[in-house]
Amino acid sequence: MNILNRIQGILSPLGHDLSFAGAYLIETIIALVFAVTVVAGMVYFFRKYMARVQNRIGPNRVGKFGVLQVMADGLKLMQKESIFPDGRDDLPYKIAPIIVFLGLILAFIIVPYSNLYWFGSLTVTHSNVGIILIFAILAIMPIGEIFAGISSNNKYAMLGALRAVAKDISFEVPMMLSILAIIMIASVNTSQPLNLQNIVSVQNIPFGILEPIGLFIFFISMIARASYSPFDMGESDSELVTGDTTEYGGLRFGLFYMGLFGTIFLGSMLVSVLYLGGGSGPYESSLGFIWFLIKTVVLVVISLTVWLSMPRVRIDKFVNFGWKILLPLSFINLVITGIIVLGGIA
Amino acid sequence: MNTAKPLNKYVELNMGPQHPSTHGVLRLKLLLDGETVKRVEPVIGYLHRNAEKICELDYYCDSLLYFDRMDYVNSLSMEAGYLEAAEKLLGIEPPERAKWIRTVMAELSRIASHLVWAGAYGLDLGMLTPFFYVFDLREQLLNIFTEASGSRLLTNYMSIGGVYQDFNDKIVYMIKDFIKTFPKKLEEVFNLFVKNDIFISRTKGIGILEKDIAISYGVTGPMLRASGVEYDVRKAEPYLMYDKVNFDIPVSYTKDCLGRFLVRYEEMRQSVKIVKQAIDKIPDGPYFNPKAKKSLMIRLRGEGEAYGRTESSKGEFGVYIVGDGTVKPYRVRVRSPTFKNLSVLRELGKDVMIADLVAISGSIDLVFGEVDR
Repeated sequence: MNILNRIQGILSPLGHDLSFAGAYLIETIIALVFAVTVVAGMVYFFRKYMARVQNRIGPNRVGKFGVLQVMADGLKLMQKESIFPDGRDDLPYKIAPIIVFLGLILAFIIVPYSNLYWFGSLTVTHSNVGIILIFAILAIMPIGEIFAGISSNNKYAMLGALRAVAKDISFEVPMMLSILAIIMIASVNTSQPLNLQNIVSVQNIPFGILEPIGLFIFFISMIARASYSPFDMGESDSELVTGDTTEYGGLRFGLFYMGLFGTIFLGSMLVSVLYLGGGSGPYESSLGFIWFLIKTVVLVVISLTVWLSMPRVRIDKFVNFGWKILLPLSFINLVITGIIVLGGIA
Repeated sequence: MNTAKPLNKYVELNMGPQHPSTHGVLRLKLLLDGETVKRVEPVIGYLHRNAEKICELDYYCDSLLYFDRMDYVNSLSMEAGYLEAAEKLLGIEPPERAKWIRTVMAELSRIASHLVWAGAYGLDLGMLTPFFYVFDLREQLLNIFTEASGSRLLTNYMSIGGVYQDFNDKIVYMIKDFIKTFPKKLEEVFNLFVKNDIFISRTKGIGILEKDIAISYGVTGPMLRASGVEYDVRKAEPYLMYDKVNFDIPVSYTKDCLGRFLVRYEEMRQSVKIVKQAIDKIPDGPYFNPKAKKSLMIRLRGEGEAYGRTESSKGEFGVYIVGDGTVKPYRVRVRSPTFKNLSVLRELGKDVMIADLVAISGSIDLVFGEVDR
């Protein structure tokens, strides 16, 4: 019994087809609300955690412990006047933040959320090619960054976009190769290794233990995908003003900002799904979602600690790192995985 | 410029004067070939406040506060620099106690300045956290300055013939407390930088400044010492009480940004060493020369010329004053170390990447109040 069936049961007077469609719609909306809530929570948590790391107090004026600060900031951003740069390419300039945010929240629909007590499985999409789908959606997000950088008619934004492109192509190949290794190792125990639920369910031993190299590569790739320090080349805060988002203000900037924090959370979720066993743990059938969240939050804390303690890598060094270290490593990982799978060790 | 591409194939980028990593109002005209900087031209003057001219319109004692506002993160060293020249011209020797107090305060001010620099340098390289740590450390220093002078930043503490206010027990206690805890806390912050491989890769071998170029441009201070020249005004021509305390001049032979970072770090530790010795050596006695007591201050007349040089946190800070026998100086001229250090950016910023240019211009330690005056 999963949440989809339960909603369908409530909607059953509408007939089979309509209730099924309605249930999907409602659950999608729930997932999107979860995504937005998570992003807002991430922003608050980040600010509090950053303050803690830096011997400060952090937001503490709006609401108890400053929990409403995020809403106040959001309202402020909404009220701001939209200032458009002259000579912009209008359509890409306006849709760029939407692409980034849309790509982010679409990915939230595909993540396997595992089970929660009465509700059953919380997962929305039971796609058989979920892993391909989620990385296809993730590949949309850089298009937003590039649109933003090129259409702003600003040299800093242009440089930021160039850096973002160089960064993206240098980490995505190793990232996909490490995912290929995951699929290979999952295919031993399941006939549908592209299904994210199956990948979670076959992890009796978490894949992070079987493939530490893959975990390392994928975690670094997720840092680079979310684009925060040390790999925030697209933004290059202070060096290129704010890189590709230089010319954005108000809610459009807010969307980029939410995209950044949402991607950190999404990246942590993916690492926990693919390498740490997602929702598996004691009492998996009722507490799976809690295990999943705990793993994700631990990874978020690690990510934020990395962010707060590292300077930015120079772009040419990152490209070198991507092509000369990550790529060979990911091939080695792939070969080792192949040997394990063929030898029947796993 | 000998490059194969014609000029119109490059991108011209105006970095500043309002840019987050140009430390105030530096404007850099860059010629870019992709990410590589082909030519860099610093443009200054956006914070020009005519300080030298205003000094001509004021009494000798009043000019001091314009020096506070030159290098505003290091105001006490600036005051010491002005008084070095002004007291020579006016023929007023401060009593020994005042000299010791000035030595202590100038060194604390040097620490404050280097701390701000380290934090801002971290920001330049994309490192957010050390900035808050160093400002936390600096807060203790500012409390000491507040206790002594009544203000945090623009202290106006020293005065002709002595200091504005005597050290009391509380200040001495605060300073002793500070130097006791500071080195350990500093090391913590320092480890955040040098134990980070990315920081090392961003600074090591970046912005090599050769010895002869540095000397020909008149570069002084930590920049020069990081290029392997052991030159410090505190040793070369001791002023105040620097010949009576024991300290070393840190020199780095790596010539790069990392060398400059390490030199400044070691300088902070040496400053602590100086303060530790000086705070115990402060003798009893008057803290100002009675010839320059407050009621007589505006009647001080100077004739002739005097040049005083001191080692500020940025380099050799020189003040040249000409008096014509009246109560106001005829001409005041400042040799600003940062101005000279900045001029070498044109050499350092050739054929580097933009990220490196930011690292290099950050390592100069720019304070625009002093460059533009």
